Amino acid sequence: MNKIVKFYHEMGSPPSFYRITGYWLKPLLILALGLTIYGLIDGLFYAPPDYQQGDSYRIMFVHVPAAWMSMFIYAVIGICGIIAFVWRMKVAEAVMMASAPIGALFTALTLLTGMLWGKPMWGTYWDWDARMTSELILLFLYIGVMGIYSAYDDDPRKAARLAALVAIIGLINLPIIRYSVEWWTSIHQGASISIMGGNSGIKEWSMLRPLLVMALATKFYYLYSMLHRARNYLLRTEQKKSWVTKQLIES
Amino acid sequence: MKFWILLQRDVLVAWRKKSNIYQPLVFQLLIVTMFPLGLGAGAQTLQKIAPAVVWILALISTLITLENIFKDDYEDGSLALYALSGLPLPMAVLAKATAHWLTTGLPVILFAPVIGVLLHLPGDAYGVLMLSLLIATPIFSLLGTVGSALIMNLKNGGMLLSVLIMPLLAPVLIFGAGAVLETTLGNTPAGHLSLLAGCLVLSLTLAPLAAAAAIKVNLE
Repeated sequence: MNKIVKFYHEMGSPPSFYRITGYWLKPLLILALGLTIYGLIDGLFYAPPDYQQGDSYRIMFVHVPAAWMSMFIYAVIGICGIIAFVWRMKVAEAVMMASAPIGALFTALTLLTGMLWGKPMWGTYWDWDARMTSELILLFLYIGVMGIYSAYDDDPRKAARLAALVAIIGLINLPIIRYSVEWWTSIHQGASISIMGGNSGIKEWSMLRPLLVMALATKFYYLYSMLHRARNYLLRTEQKKSWVTKQLIES
Repeated sequence: MKFWILLQRDVLVAWRKKSNIYQPLVFQLLIVTMFPLGLGAGAQTLQKIAPAVVWILALISTLITLENIFKDDYEDGSLALYALSGLPLPMAVLAKATAHWLTTGLPVILFAPVIGVLLHLPGDAYGVLMLSLLIATPIFSLLGTVGSALIMNLKNGGMLLSVLIMPLLAPVLIFGAGAVLETTLGNTPAGHLSLLAGCLVLSLTLAPLAAAAAIKVNLE
């Protein structure tokens, strides 16, 4: 127990956070790259074609993990936002602001792959279906968090506090937006399009395996990329502190 | 007591500068003219889009006024005085939101039927249109205080304000325009209006707190 408490406190202080996460970067990158290569080869060449969609369903192996990450990362940002706003932890601010661009990119990737998948399946790139619409609004929430931060570029602490507030407001509103959009589409179109049946349709292990591998790969990629950004964020915001000078002389 | 003084002062300031009150309405009129010009003046087409257009116009014309809720008070220092006045900051925010609603929301509600007539909105929808706007315009003002507090010391914060506020207003638009749409289709709007009222209660409780938190960060 003592060790866990010590680790927790170490992760809260920028110098030890910087030192400890430095050891994690390489393994995380290797895991992310390895799993991505394995997952893509497995998904694109070895998984059987779908009985209805043929080979075009294979974009799912990128689309679905990216969609999961887009929501997961917003949850991370919201929770870090609460920690940063209430306890003013610098590391929480760093993790929050480091996560935002990655989350926004995963959201954009989800929308893009979804559009490419929609063309052969639905016959159109874009349809105002509930999930697409709420994903698009999620992208706006990410842009809001990043926008308020970059607007206050002269004072990073204040910028991070305001961005944390925006993230918290977004976190509270996300379920409301999600459900309102779902009810809205149910008014317009009767049954909304749900080709995968909420993913519960996949029972074939050889199809599920690459999906799970890719989901893990995106998690590791996120961890790697986020830690890298968070470390740089800390170096930038703490540049006048002695530990940064020491770090730069050593390396 | 202080709440009323603040409210009175804000309404008076807005009243002295009447362009603040009628400009959003002129803006609505200008934009609504663009629709028949772009779409063709066919009554059928206009009638179809009328519930959405009336609602979106109300939303956008409010949005352009939000930027200034706290800006002047921040620049001349009176915002710091509100914070020191002993009145809880969320209450001061509530007074600002109420004043903004009285000077922007109320005119928009009263003007909505004019826009409705111009777009051939069916006769039985006017009551629901005004009722839905009556519930929703306070939400605009309340969430507006949050957005305005976040950007009050930025030079060009208007665009950022829209990015911050629009996603939060999406549910309000869905329920509000949905209520009017349901009425024109001959259904009951009760469900939409109840959900809209729920949004109002939620923003009435949380928005002043969020705006007060943002003001505190900005005054630090």
